[in-house]
Amino acid sequence: MRPLSAFGLILLLTGWLPLFSQTKYSISGTVIDKTSGESLIGATVILIEQPRSGVSSNAYGFYSVSAPAGSYNMVVSFTGYLSDTVKIVLNRNLLLPVALNTDHTELTEVVVSAQKKDDNVTKPLMGVQKLSMNEIRNIPVLFGEKDILKTIQLLPGIKSAGDGNSGFYVRGGTTDQNLILLDEATVYNASHLLGFFSTFNSDAIKDVTVYKGGMPAEYGGRLSSVVDVKMNDGNNRNYLVSGGIGLIASRLNVEGPIVKDEGSFIVSARRTYADLFLKLSRDTSINRNKLYFYDLNAKANYKIDKNNRIYLSGYFGRDVLGFSNLFGIQWGNSTATARWNHVFNSRLFSNTSFIYSNYNYLINVNLTSNNINITSKIEDFSLKEDLQYYANSENKINFGFNIIHHTISPGIADASPGSSFNSFSLQKKYSLESAAYISHEWSPLAKLHIDYGLRLTDFSVFGPGNFYSYDQNGNTINTSTYSSGQIVKTYFNPEPRLSASYLLNSLSSLKISYTRNIQNLHLLSNSNSSNPTDLWIPSSNNVKPEIADQESIGYYRNFNDNKYEFSSEVYYKTMQNQIDYKNGAQLAANENVESQLLFGIGRAYGWELFFKKKYGKLTGWVGYTLSRTELKIDGINNGNWYPARQDITHDISVVGIYQASKKWTISATWVYSTGNAVTFPNGKYDVNGQILFYYTQRNAYRMPPYHRLDLGATLVTRKTKKTERSWTFSIYNAYDRDNPYFIQFQQDPNDASRTQAVQYSLFKIIPSVTYNFKF
Amino acid sequence: MKSRIRSIVLFFIFSYCSCKKVIQVNLNDAAPQIVIFGEVTDLPGPYQVSITKTVNFSATNDFPPVSGAQVTITDDKGLIDSLSETAPGIYNTHTFWQGVPGNTYTLSVLTSGKTYTAISEMPQAVPLDSISFQENQNFSRKNTISVVPYFQDPPGIVNYYQFAEFVNDTPLNKTYIMNDRLSDGKYFNLPLYDDSVHIYAGDLVTLYMYSINADVYNYLNEMQQISNSAQSLTPANPDTNLSNGALGIFTVHTVVSKQRIYD
Repeated sequence: MRPLSAFGLILLLTGWLPLFSQTKYSISGTVIDKTSGESLIGATVILIEQPRSGVSSNAYGFYSVSAPAGSYNMVVSFTGYLSDTVKIVLNRNLLLPVALNTDHTELTEVVVSAQKKDDNVTKPLMGVQKLSMNEIRNIPVLFGEKDILKTIQLLPGIKSAGDGNSGFYVRGGTTDQNLILLDEATVYNASHLLGFFSTFNSDAIKDVTVYKGGMPAEYGGRLSSVVDVKMNDGNNRNYLVSGGIGLIASRLNVEGPIVKDEGSFIVSARRTYADLFLKLSRDTSINRNKLYFYDLNAKANYKIDKNNRIYLSGYFGRDVLGFSNLFGIQWGNSTATARWNHVFNSRLFSNTSFIYSNYNYLINVNLTSNNINITSKIEDFSLKEDLQYYANSENKINFGFNIIHHTISPGIADASPGSSFNSFSLQKKYSLESAAYISHEWSPLAKLHIDYGLRLTDFSVFGPGNFYSYDQNGNTINTSTYSSGQIVKTYFNPEPRLSASYLLNSLSSLKISYTRNIQNLHLLSNSNSSNPTDLWIPSSNNVKPEIADQESIGYYRNFNDNKYEFSSEVYYKTMQNQIDYKNGAQLAANENVESQLLFGIGRAYGWELFFKKKYGKLTGWVGYTLSRTELKIDGINNGNWYPARQDITHDISVVGIYQASKKWTISATWVYSTGNAVTFPNGKYDVNGQILFYYTQRNAYRMPPYHRLDLGATLVTRKTKKTERSWTFSIYNAYDRDNPYFIQFQQDPNDASRTQAVQYSLFKIIPSVTYNFKF
Repeated sequence: MKSRIRSIVLFFIFSYCSCKKVIQVNLNDAAPQIVIFGEVTDLPGPYQVSITKTVNFSATNDFPPVSGAQVTITDDKGLIDSLSETAPGIYNTHTFWQGVPGNTYTLSVLTSGKTYTAISEMPQAVPLDSISFQENQNFSRKNTISVVPYFQDPPGIVNYYQFAEFVNDTPLNKTYIMNDRLSDGKYFNLPLYDDSVHIYAGDLVTLYMYSINADVYNYLNEMQQISNSAQSLTPANPDTNLSNGALGIFTVHTVVSKQRIYD
């Protein structure tokens, strides 16, 4: 779909909207936190007299409900806040901002019972997990650095890719099949320090939502999941400074009003300093080593008038790793988002975003007479338009479009004249990813909610450049040269989305969903850990878009006044055009990298159980997943199905947070999972004095199971309305389990007649402490 | 806004480490497979072909030789040599011929009713100008000595190189390979890295440089990748030029060498 036809579709849709009855009046506005002025995402707004009128505030806190003229009680509620009930006489369209408070004072009326704490049951969305920053704050993680990506891996269906890896597998998908968005900008490499930490500084984060399936039509581009991370807007009432000092990293966060109640800013920075300890060494080979990262989040917003608000947000992060003066690599993401919220009228909300995203790395090698610098980059410019039309209490329409221009520069190498290498510049790859979508949230019956939609994705690769076709052995058989802007290949794909929920009674529901997802950017990585140098490639004449179809069905039940929630979901997913690699594939610095790939299909299915205690002194959850993920790739395992690396049969996570007193909060997490599917040798042989291992079947073995207990405690030493001091203690891997990182088969160094298997582990028990302040 | 940060006491227990231990893994047994290694060079013969079988991982490193095979080497210029078994599983060529760059050699092995063949071309030799030594510091602060070969890569043609290092006539059990994919026509001066200390002052170091063909390079390259479990995600048997499922390789290469004492 060309951009123009996307516009055409929008026009067509807006023309059709008035068809919905407009005899009712509507109430609209923004839900905010009373103390900070932060907009609240996902707050529930409902008119008690119109049980089907309930809506959630959107990503900017906006809500709109409709009803015939009359008197109503409108209840606004949000987890962690006290509900607010507003008496309304509705005889015209009303603009009604709502401020929720965590304090009891100043409320017109306190509704203690959780009026709408049963969203999980009533909403049609499936496979969606939302974590509050409060939960994330209290869960212990490595080195005490709060980490949203590590924390979501404690949810069923989301599995860690292993120690020292920020990557995660969602329902059998690989790590590159997760769309990670920070204020709508794609984050291409979400890991710091080769995966020990994620790029998200939790101080700067307001909201995290994970979609494992049943993605709304506004999201697209990756096969397995969407992790939608939204940054804080900043306090628009008071200036605040907060921060933390930890063993290996420190954080500082500054926020405040630009114009009181009208605009605010927030700046969060973080830096690790593991390498500062290296500097203490007198040994020049050590004190010249570098190993650190920093990142910076900044955001500002300003309310122009009651119908217009603008937001600017940005992220910049950098990792630096250097070995003496000989070798250095640095990499990082930068993103920028400019947004304009516009309220056309009390029913139609629009957001327009201009988004920039960049991931790059730079390697320099300085060996005697062999200096070489290599740079690589992926850069996106994007325009996104999202509109929400709150037609009436039974109908809501979401529609919009998104155009992304991708430029991928796989590698430019600059070698010194005396070097053993030639300078080279791999061809840049240009592509345009356009999508238009529409979805309809519809409640035809009081007990039935349906959210169905269609996303149309068009992906075009264009010149300038040479494009190759290959024979079976990977030899180039044809080279076609394209001029600038000339289209090489276009893929057009419809992505239907459907989810529906049926309320069995006021406490339980049944949900089904079907989702098709398309992925046109693929990450090539054939090593154990995530590397900053892993290469993204676009779909092309050789690489077809990856396609996933997922069906799921689930049962949801709440207990004990919604204090407990339980869900059980079953999913089945088929995947097309999955990518694997030939033996000895040369992925780095290779113009013909597409000749190194193999293609096939995949299937994943599983059963996820989730039980959560939401309120009380003790909160937390237990998640269990039983699953299977298999691949069938031409040229691997004789073309037979084999378990994918991310095939993990059992996966258990237990999370408990206990508020022991006003001062102490204690938490613990325990995870267990079946070892990854791996290929081990079935024999060995000798070739000219070297022992080699003989392999028969792909991924026929299992790593030893992974399990780990983490403990955490937070001590609040001082808490007033404005200031806070606290200590966070944590013990990672509390019972010192040697979890396998990899297993090496090798000659026994002590007995030349023997071979042995050696297991390497990454982390022993790691205690840490962090001091946090706020004033 | 008052800054009143207390003094911070960090009890720094940095027990994060990488640890390893030998473990027992229950590995399935596999039916023994034929393993063939044959080598023809441009130096005078006789050249050797060895035929053995695989054993289970838990067995000792004693690989049963395969005796009584019919082994022949032919080339595209009319050579036919039927090899003689000089020791169990060891087959030698006869000295009436010597490998010539540019010729294509065919190895044929008939054993237990199955024939395994490999075709391999001998590339043109590339001269090795000299070698020197370079001191490296690695992460564990052991100072290792790397040998640096100096040679001119012929421009315009694809070249693959293999190096074998001898210290005082003892071979180092390590294979180095290089190619000119990113270095066509350059003057090479890349050190042969080794993470163990092998060379001491006064040692006589001999470096052999082979010009190998693409099949052999790919075989050695895959072999290196799979031997490193930290890097390799899914090891598989390296692709070989031998047919019919035999393991091993038939390499045909030139040999040049330089010697130098490290002081």
